[in-house]
Amino acid sequence: MRVGMPHMGNLYIPFKALFQRLNVDYVMPPLTNQRTLSLGVRYSPEGMCIPFKLTLGNLIEAAELGADTLLMPAGSGICRLGYYAKTQEQILHDLGYNAEIVCLGVSQRKLFGLLEMIKRLSNDAPWSKIISAFRFGLAKLNALDRIERVVQKVRPVERVKGTANKLFAKAIEAIDQADDYNTLKRVQIGYIDQLNQVTKDSEAQPLVVGIIGEFYVLLEPFSNLDIEKELGKLGVEVRRTTFISEWTKFSLFLNPMGVNEKDRIHKAALPYLKRDIGGDGWESVGEKVLHAKEYDGLVHLAPFTCMPEIVAQNIMSSTKENIPVLTILCDEQIAKPGMLTRLEAFVDLLEYRRRVKNKHRQID
Amino acid sequence: MIKVGIPRALLYYQYYPMWKTFFEGLGAEVVVSPPTTQAILSSGSSRVVADTCLPVKVFCGHVLALVGECDYIFIPAIRSVKSKICNCSKFLGLPDMTKAVIPESPPILDIDIDINKGKHELYQAIYKLGRRFTWNPFKVRQASIAAWQAHLKYKQLMSNHGLTPSQAIERISNTTEVEPKTPSGNPTPNQATIAVIGHPYLLYDAHINYRLIHRLEQAHYKVLTPEMLTTEELELAITRLIGGAYWTYEEEMVGAGGHYLESGTDGVIGIMAFGCGPDSLMMDIVHRWAARLRTTPFMSLTLEEHTAEAGVVTRLEAFLDMIHRKKRRRLKLCV
Repeated sequence: MRVGMPHMGNLYIPFKALFQRLNVDYVMPPLTNQRTLSLGVRYSPEGMCIPFKLTLGNLIEAAELGADTLLMPAGSGICRLGYYAKTQEQILHDLGYNAEIVCLGVSQRKLFGLLEMIKRLSNDAPWSKIISAFRFGLAKLNALDRIERVVQKVRPVERVKGTANKLFAKAIEAIDQADDYNTLKRVQIGYIDQLNQVTKDSEAQPLVVGIIGEFYVLLEPFSNLDIEKELGKLGVEVRRTTFISEWTKFSLFLNPMGVNEKDRIHKAALPYLKRDIGGDGWESVGEKVLHAKEYDGLVHLAPFTCMPEIVAQNIMSSTKENIPVLTILCDEQIAKPGMLTRLEAFVDLLEYRRRVKNKHRQID
Repeated sequence: MIKVGIPRALLYYQYYPMWKTFFEGLGAEVVVSPPTTQAILSSGSSRVVADTCLPVKVFCGHVLALVGECDYIFIPAIRSVKSKICNCSKFLGLPDMTKAVIPESPPILDIDIDINKGKHELYQAIYKLGRRFTWNPFKVRQASIAAWQAHLKYKQLMSNHGLTPSQAIERISNTTEVEPKTPSGNPTPNQATIAVIGHPYLLYDAHINYRLIHRLEQAHYKVLTPEMLTTEELELAITRLIGGAYWTYEEEMVGAGGHYLESGTDGVIGIMAFGCGPDSLMMDIVHRWAARLRTTPFMSLTLEEHTAEAGVVTRLEAFLDMIHRKKRRRLKLCV
């Protein structure tokens, strides 16, 4: 049995650590790239969304490397995600790969489902070993996200553009290499220190833009054409509430205990959208309402043909809380120059609004 | 008398007799928007963002057509009608979305239908809806029982007599028995049959599918639709194809497709709307199944507001020609 899995941002690092500690035979397909996209697009039904196409591409590339057990998130929700695995398995079979897809039930059995699946993959390793490996994976995940948060702050104000990105790439590498808690901690502290010491423009007051929308396109830089880095280059500070470590923290541990971090967001959305519409649609509307005062603007990312986000987009434009929103639909047709032009225009608009606001303030 | 408006779109085709009986039982008058026209479609699509799917655009157009014609508009949010099976986001967000994009619409009567929450919640929801019309809980109860009976009768009428929803609705609303226009009971032995699968709001909206069913009937084909099958037949087909349903209206697509592909029909046409989330996957499942079986020709038509009539007709003609040729060849072989 050789395990393979699709990519989503840096998610492969904690899984790699997990598999290594449990001696699972695994292959990591190459990081999502142009070939992945082409493969996915070629073999997907035409109306599918970009997360399906990219994960299918990942799975095909994993199968090419000899993986016969493929992990794929699934769950009964309202989004198409629950149907992905069924269809992708059929596509892989039709292509002649004899691979079995193991569903990672993300919505029903939560932590237990995940642990049981790991146990199955690890050939019945003892629970103590599974839990310690799982904890180590989580620690890597948390370290990654902590550093990324600092990177998001440094990017817009650094004097030499690109320094933070370079450091982040090195940090990812170092975290991937770390194989005990001490090293991990040292790496985390070390890189956060380095990031804080990057020479910054002390007078800059960067615009603050929130990034909201669908989970996968938010977290997979390939699918959103590195939008965060591009915004950073334009001198914009990016804020995002969606992180994989946040998701694991709440969805796996705290939600079953009755703590829901999204209650606040849902409450904000209530006057405009009364019910969960699947995916991240409810949250998109809620975040717009909630952050209208805090941020200068919002970038709403959604895969093309994403059902919940279309509903959200229709509703978002009519909320009382007013804040500029730029919706970017991600699919295989999206091109970087087009996106950059739209981002630049959007940032110009936000700067103009801020200038006008400051002027009013001075007059008052 | 309070007037309740029901847009002639989306779930109208599945539940209209039920809704009508319910509201009339509560002493309201039911107003239905006129059949889809180009004006309705254009007015609807001018309100929503471009990538909203065609049926929802049509729906918004129908709501606009009802503005000023009624006191309330009934838009249910149907989350689930079978345990653990969910509906598309657009059905769930429909009341809120309509309110957002059509601010001038009459007050919206929304009701959350979710079987997963248990029967009690469901009854509560129905009761809450009924209480807007009457203070008498027994009247609500009576109306909902009558509504359910009407729904069962409607479904039975379609599956037993092989009627399409429009024919069945016509029959229910006219007290005198009206025979269906096309003799559906006994087809001539050599008459070819074509199954058309897809959601009722695409199949029976003659404007958006360019009178597809009518065209097939004119070409002397017997048309079969998903409503003509029983629930058991549909569920059996779903189990065979993918193990279990995931979407609420999966029977109309995967169930009917799976059944008709193996039941000796001469051809199957699948209709889907561009950008439809559930359909993009379900159509693919049927497509793959057809490719694997290699017995029944299958064609999928994707509709959107840019679809041109000539394009649909050309593809239909080519498909029918192919079926005709195939049939002739088979007859020759028999001789």
